[in-house]
Amino acid sequence: MVTTTASKVEIDWTRCDGHGLCATLLPNDVVLDEWGFPVLNGREITAGELPHARRAVLACPALALRLDRPVERDA
Amino acid sequence: MILQDARVQLRVIGEPRLLAGLDQGRADRQRHLFTHGAQPDLNREAYTQLAEAVGLRGRGGAAFPVALKLADLPAKGIEAVVVNGSESEPVSRKDRLLLTLAPHLVLDGATGLARALGAPHVLIAVHDAAAATSIREAIMERDDGLAIEVTDTPGRFVAGEARAVLSALEGGKAVPPGRRALPTRKGYHRRPTFLSNVETFAQLAVLARLGPKGYSSTGLISEPGTQLLTVDGAVERPGVVETPTGVPLEAVLQFSGAARGPVLLGGYHGKWLPETDGVYLQRPEVSAGIILALGTETCPLGEVHRVSQWLASQSAGQCGPCVFGLASLVDDFDRLVKGDPAGWHDAQRHLGLVPGRGACAHPDGSARFLASALEVFGEDVRLHLDGGGCGRPVLGVLPVPGGSW
Repeated sequence: MVTTTASKVEIDWTRCDGHGLCATLLPNDVVLDEWGFPVLNGREITAGELPHARRAVLACPALALRLDRPVERDA
Repeated sequence: MILQDARVQLRVIGEPRLLAGLDQGRADRQRHLFTHGAQPDLNREAYTQLAEAVGLRGRGGAAFPVALKLADLPAKGIEAVVVNGSESEPVSRKDRLLLTLAPHLVLDGATGLARALGAPHVLIAVHDAAAATSIREAIMERDDGLAIEVTDTPGRFVAGEARAVLSALEGGKAVPPGRRALPTRKGYHRRPTFLSNVETFAQLAVLARLGPKGYSSTGLISEPGTQLLTVDGAVERPGVVETPTGVPLEAVLQFSGAARGPVLLGGYHGKWLPETDGVYLQRPEVSAGIILALGTETCPLGEVHRVSQWLASQSAGQCGPCVFGLASLVDDFDRLVKGDPAGWHDAQRHLGLVPGRGACAHPDGSARFLASALEVFGEDVRLHLDGGGCGRPVLGVLPVPGGSW
């Protein structure tokens, strides 16, 4: 059985202070609401985008942005 | 000592189970044993089978199947059984009533399960002073050979959330943590924990005695047994009612002498019902069992606006979308009540921005309550936006706790 891994970005809302860097770094996945907090579109991050997403996670000044644990799924 | 809260009336439709033997007030150990008999010693497998056979669901609001919760616990190393008696829904009275009047039934359920699971600790989170006194007194009356601890938790709405309760029991702040972890895996001190609502444990104690067949002699086939409901608002006889599961809402309303008019089911995270005919009270819709009748004398949107203020005040203040979103919705409803169409439009947008964006379900539940109000009170919305308002005063039929919370 072939399995692929897919991950999504997620936010620890207790940490997020709405700095907004994630929306600039991941414009395809995150937009900001009227209060400056991220709105996720829930898209899966492809393997090719993963390094970039990891960099965005490291850039979050509140350590609120995360990649969720990859879900093993049948291809 | 009289511990009974004089304001809370108990009533029963059908056969009393949880409320059996309470007509003279609190059941001490002797009266409890006289009414219910001794708690049978069951093992973990027996509890799982019982819970599965009758489809028992948690009675705290989320209505999670107890059998699944038991199955998710590891085979060994279960740290604690936690009784969540924080009952932070402002209208709900059933849990403090059980803790106050039938403490031994709750303790039987919790200690029986703790022994079956091999959990050394039983932790009881209580907010109400009379309930805490009664349960402490009950613990003195028995010898369970377990470490039973009663802890007072803060009464704020969000403090009643399962993981907030665990955090408070560990000595931390009573707020939900940012990471979603199941108590069955990482609960009390990050160890496997069985946590459920007070009524769930009382139901388990009754179930252990009656067995699946006896327990299923009343209520729905899909989820037999009884349930505790708290009825309040525009009713002649507010209080806690025990009924078989699946009874018609109309029966409970008539029984409580409710005025005609809209009904809120499931508390301030629940939904307004467009129609009370043909509604049967079962989980998950009935949630923690709160039924609020609004009547026809008061302004529905004004009432909802008052509750929205309270909901916004109950945010733990951790998550931006909850803090800003609920505050914006309070303002939107204020403008809507005053006849400003922009208030309605902003509310629609903000209701989409709040759910799913917090550490706990407070934003989701609050948005569900407010969205259902706009839907069910569409005619009132029109009257208010036409400029004249609905012509009714805001009477405060929906109870909102004062500053002490």
